[in-house]
Amino acid sequence: MKTLEEVFETWEAVIGLEIHAELTTLETKMFCGCKLEFGAAPNTHTCPVCLGLPGALPVPNRAAIESIVLAGLATNCDIEKHSMFYRKNYMYPDMAKNFQTTQGPIAFCMRGHLDLDVDGRGAAERYRLDALAPGERDGNITRTEDGYVAHVGITRIHMEEDAGKMVHLGGGEGRIAGATQSLVDYNRAGTPLIELVTEPDLRTPEEARLFMQKLRQIYLAIGISDCSMEEGSLRCDGNVSLRRRGTTAFGTKTELKNMNSFKNLHDGLAYEICRQAEVLEEGGVIYQETRHWDPSAKRTIVMRVKETADDYRLFPEPDLAPYDLTDEFIEGVRAKLPELPDQKAARYAADFGLTAYDARHLVDHRTTADFFDECMALAVAEKGGSKFAKPLANLIINDVTAWLNAHEDTALADTPLTAARALALVKLIASEAISSKQGKEVFATMMDEDAEPAAIVEARGMKQVSDAGAIEAVVDEVIAANPDEVARYREGNTKVIGFFVGQCMKAMRGQGNPKIINELLAKKLG
Amino acid sequence: MATPFGSMSVRELQAGLAAKEFSAAEVARGTFERIEAADGVVHSFLETTEKLALDAASRIDGAIAEGRLAEMGPLAGVPVGYKDNLNLTGTHTTCASNMLRDYVSPYTATCVERTLRAGALPIGKLNMDEFAFGGSTETSAFGPTRNPWDTERVPGGSSGGSAAAVAAGLVPVSLGSDTGGSIRQPGSFCGLVGVKPTYGVVSRYGVVAFGSSLDQVGPFARSVEDAALTLNALAGRDELDCTSQPSDVDFTANLAEGVRGMRIGIVPAFLEAAGLAPEVKAKAQEAALALEKMGAELVEVELPHAQAAMSAYYVLGPCEAFSNLARFDSVRYGYCDPGHKDLGSQYEASRARGFGPEARRRIMLGSYLLSAGVYDRYYYPAQQVRTLITRDYAAAYESVDCILTPVAPRTAFKLGEIGDPTEMYLGDMFTISINIAGNGGMSVPVGLGADTGLPVGVQLIAPPFKDANMFRAAAALETVYGPAPVAPDYADGKVGA
Repeated sequence: MKTLEEVFETWEAVIGLEIHAELTTLETKMFCGCKLEFGAAPNTHTCPVCLGLPGALPVPNRAAIESIVLAGLATNCDIEKHSMFYRKNYMYPDMAKNFQTTQGPIAFCMRGHLDLDVDGRGAAERYRLDALAPGERDGNITRTEDGYVAHVGITRIHMEEDAGKMVHLGGGEGRIAGATQSLVDYNRAGTPLIELVTEPDLRTPEEARLFMQKLRQIYLAIGISDCSMEEGSLRCDGNVSLRRRGTTAFGTKTELKNMNSFKNLHDGLAYEICRQAEVLEEGGVIYQETRHWDPSAKRTIVMRVKETADDYRLFPEPDLAPYDLTDEFIEGVRAKLPELPDQKAARYAADFGLTAYDARHLVDHRTTADFFDECMALAVAEKGGSKFAKPLANLIINDVTAWLNAHEDTALADTPLTAARALALVKLIASEAISSKQGKEVFATMMDEDAEPAAIVEARGMKQVSDAGAIEAVVDEVIAANPDEVARYREGNTKVIGFFVGQCMKAMRGQGNPKIINELLAKKLG
Repeated sequence: MATPFGSMSVRELQAGLAAKEFSAAEVARGTFERIEAADGVVHSFLETTEKLALDAASRIDGAIAEGRLAEMGPLAGVPVGYKDNLNLTGTHTTCASNMLRDYVSPYTATCVERTLRAGALPIGKLNMDEFAFGGSTETSAFGPTRNPWDTERVPGGSSGGSAAAVAAGLVPVSLGSDTGGSIRQPGSFCGLVGVKPTYGVVSRYGVVAFGSSLDQVGPFARSVEDAALTLNALAGRDELDCTSQPSDVDFTANLAEGVRGMRIGIVPAFLEAAGLAPEVKAKAQEAALALEKMGAELVEVELPHAQAAMSAYYVLGPCEAFSNLARFDSVRYGYCDPGHKDLGSQYEASRARGFGPEARRRIMLGSYLLSAGVYDRYYYPAQQVRTLITRDYAAAYESVDCILTPVAPRTAFKLGEIGDPTEMYLGDMFTISINIAGNGGMSVPVGLGADTGLPVGVQLIAPPFKDANMFRAAAALETVYGPAPVAPDYADGKVGA
């Protein structure tokens, strides 16, 4: 099979995403008062409504409507004031009423968009990006210095209810094939779900991954879902088709499921694009089908062939009156909109002079962005101002993120790290009391021993030595002890300076001021 | 022989309780004895609820002993029967279908709950057409109900059991549901007051749905006042039904006002409708003139689109029913055909055997009408017709306070007499447009037909949420025709011919 890069020489991929998010932060279900709780004993959070008992009626959860409007406002959607719920009729035991309550042609949120910053290796996936000069546009993308910005349309976000959960026993690995019993847990039935559908504006797996990542950041920022891809509270299906470069008609698409991580989303789409290219290049035909991404086998397999479109007999839900959202309601929700990741990144750049790259990576996670805000609030209060912004950003993007990645189960708030300690550490380095290398050691020790940075420096005798006289003595000793290296340096191999710095540092147990050591070495060797 | 409790009015019962002529427990026990003795042929009850009634009665009697009868609610000590599509915890709610033969309600419908809170004694569950599909109670999986006025004849339907139980003097009040005429037509066939309130007046929570946008629960009674007292208890906003509306109306308030100054609409086209029996037409005209004589002004109104109501109804009703009945799939409750190895065949066989022919017909009809390509030709135009009919009524109400029409084109027919489903459907020709438009309508007994000697009713129709208007006109008619009698063969404690 060809690589993605090779495929893109001939083919253009057209990708659209359908992203379901469970509104896990709500107290209750979409149409009844049952509690939303993950992991409760089966069928303990149920009532006549979510069990679809005869005579039960739905009552919409107003908080869920607020959540979807919040999602729409955060993704630049038009909020439709007048919309309706519909019944999508199909029979399956996990759907107690045998119809799903969802929305019709007009959803609460229509016509939105997100702009994706694609840079680095991700940008390289885009076909012939180099043909564009910075600022130049091609279709929905605009070239930037280090990549491009992709403008991705959002068709709609609609509200619906989740189904119950099927558990199959007796077969292999809980699958339905070969199972002797199928059980249904209705705790999840009626969980409020919002489905976002993108326009077919995505062209690379990386763009799809970034879209999903950015949407997740937004949903987390507005607090409507815990967005756990592992537990399925954020789920993504991808529709993908190919067409020859230069043509505009859509090819036949396949729908890809089971992409339950950012990596799987990227890799599943990349595989499917290459698979389709191979089929087409061998003269084959792409069937409209649903395929399952198998991450261990690294391939997609057919789940179901759609010969005809499903007929869900959609019609307006007569038990729910058409929904009229007032301006007051919409404005009330808008007032609850927090600062969104893009706005935050722009503020970091404008107020603290951070680079776009640093700003973007700080807002990748809400916790790190919040922590940075907390640190900067302290720094500004202490009149340190924005001079600590860059070192704080570095500390958070590098050391803190690495530490958190290595300790997956620990939340930032539960670590010994506080804003005050982070600022203290950054100040120790900035004042040259310790070197940045020592800073890393202090950070590690702080996280292990829950101690103040100053106390660690004190206890370990880590004070940086900046006394020129003391350093000069060491420099002289090192030069005297290594005549061969001195000779090489003087022959023009100036890279040997690193050796001398290392030797001096070693002699000073890492505490010498590297700047002064470098200056003295250059003077004495030259 | 003492008057059976079921033949008394609400006021008579409460006066007797207050005067300690009898206790609520005696009312309950007497009612069950009467059902045991008199309901054999009529077959109105599918289940009786002795324990629930006696428990309720003992609470009433406790209150009477403490002189607190007045606090126990407007229906204190009144025996009430419920159509078997109304959930009541611990009772079977079968919808007269094999599908739900063994289904026991785990919760109580709001309308039932409200009668209980008003002090009613719950007597049992009443027969009906299967899932309320029908106009004769002959489609019940448990055998038909017979009309107490002539047991060779049907009581009407689909709330036939609810009507027959009141007409036979078994209970003074019962609840039915009306999707296209299912309270008003049996009301007329059995000579009773039968009320379909404006859509939204009574909560539908716990009412097994047929057509969600059409269904409405209402009372049967032998007097306008008893019906109004019951509706007082039922009406009002319910947080569990978001189509329900607040109600602060006392439906008994203007019963004694008379109709002087009221403008009553007459629809000439209705009185000329093909299939309208002369005796029914004559009664409608007579009732209109009686109102005029009492000071009402008769005004001719047009409902130009009402003739399309039947067509719209047989699109919208089956579509909603198809979806509402999808949950009866044999998986968690309801009839499950044994021995199937895969879900599809279990679904098919259970639904084919669990539902009767009329239910299957409507489900298939709805499934077809909602399918791709067909939907646009039927469902959508039917909704447009609905809008036109609603506008027709709104225009008519600019010049009238109430409209008077026949209820059913004829009096009660014989069991088995009508075999063709479409002929049965035509029985709802005067009632259906009211469900389509959503406003209130009620049948009021106006004596016996000149040709058949069977009860005839007229229908009074009121603007949305002005249901009190029709009660006022109905009370005036009652001063002329008197409250509805118990059917002669069941009057004065008799138990049938």
